[in-house]
Amino acid sequence: MSPSFRDGLREGFLAFLPLSVGLIPWALVTGLTMSGVGFTPLQAMGMNVIVFAGTAQLGTLPLIAAGTPVWLIVITAFVLNLRFIIFSAALARGFRGVPLGARWLSGHLLTDGAFATCLEKMLSHPDPQWRLGYYLGPSLWSWLLWQVFAFCGVMAAGSIPRGWSLEFMATIALIVLLVPMARVRPMLVAALVGGGLAVALRGMPLRLGVIVAIVAGIAAGFAAESWRGKDLS
Amino acid sequence: MNYDWTLWGLFILLGLATTLPRASFIVLGERAALPESLQKALRYAPAAALAAIVAPDIFVSGGELTVLSPRLAAAAAAVLAALVFRNPWLPFIAGMGVLWGLERLLSAWMG
Repeated sequence: MSPSFRDGLREGFLAFLPLSVGLIPWALVTGLTMSGVGFTPLQAMGMNVIVFAGTAQLGTLPLIAAGTPVWLIVITAFVLNLRFIIFSAALARGFRGVPLGARWLSGHLLTDGAFATCLEKMLSHPDPQWRLGYYLGPSLWSWLLWQVFAFCGVMAAGSIPRGWSLEFMATIALIVLLVPMARVRPMLVAALVGGGLAVALRGMPLRLGVIVAIVAGIAAGFAAESWRGKDLS
Repeated sequence: MNYDWTLWGLFILLGLATTLPRASFIVLGERAALPESLQKALRYAPAAALAAIVAPDIFVSGGELTVLSPRLAAAAAAVLAALVFRNPWLPFIAGMGVLWGLERLLSAWMG
């Protein structure tokens, strides 16, 4: 472990630490749900380790419980994670000079929170070792929290009152990430279009509305930027 | 409900279906670079995606559009706390405080 890798690891971890509390209720809820559909603790933790994707896990559990054909369950999980192709492409430049094995690990560990925390530094810092550390700090911490608190959820199934709305802490965490971005005008446009369409298109099958909303939001932000650019010149 | 060994096969397929999109460009790197204009557009991905995930949590309840709800008030409190104060824990305290307060108040009021 080089000193710059360790520096990056520490700085990334500290930047992400306050936001990471939002994962805890999400992991608890996922653990509770996996027990709820009848998984044994071993099956639940097996899914949690192999899949490691909150939205895709929560989105496919009802289908698994209903005995849905395997191909449809797998396509649903793929669609729920499509947004990560965009995130992965945005981060790619930050992984130049990083070995292939570490890239596969980093890809598997990619989360919304790690992406939002790391994007800027990943594209601006010159040292590949430092960048890998800065990315893996939040990512490995997310993985650990996800496993530990999903396990707590699995064990606690049935004894936590449902009226506590703890899953809303994940929503607050995403809001905290969103607020500083929305200070820039075209970013605000992208967020308003993305959020508005996600609500309007919530009835689309397989939650495809979320994908459409994200693509439209990106296009709107891009359009707002070029429109403003013309205005200034 | 009981599941047999095929459940583990499903987990592996799900692991591939969720890991391949995430690993795609991180693994391919610059051998498969996206066009410049797409790169530029990608800067808006986090804002659009976060809003698309958050908005239904705030404005939709049981599949129905609900404009006034404890969740919206809680989200507003969290946004305000994030805008005004630098303390990173405060949005969570403010948001969950408002949510719990309003939910208790509503259920007391509804009897």
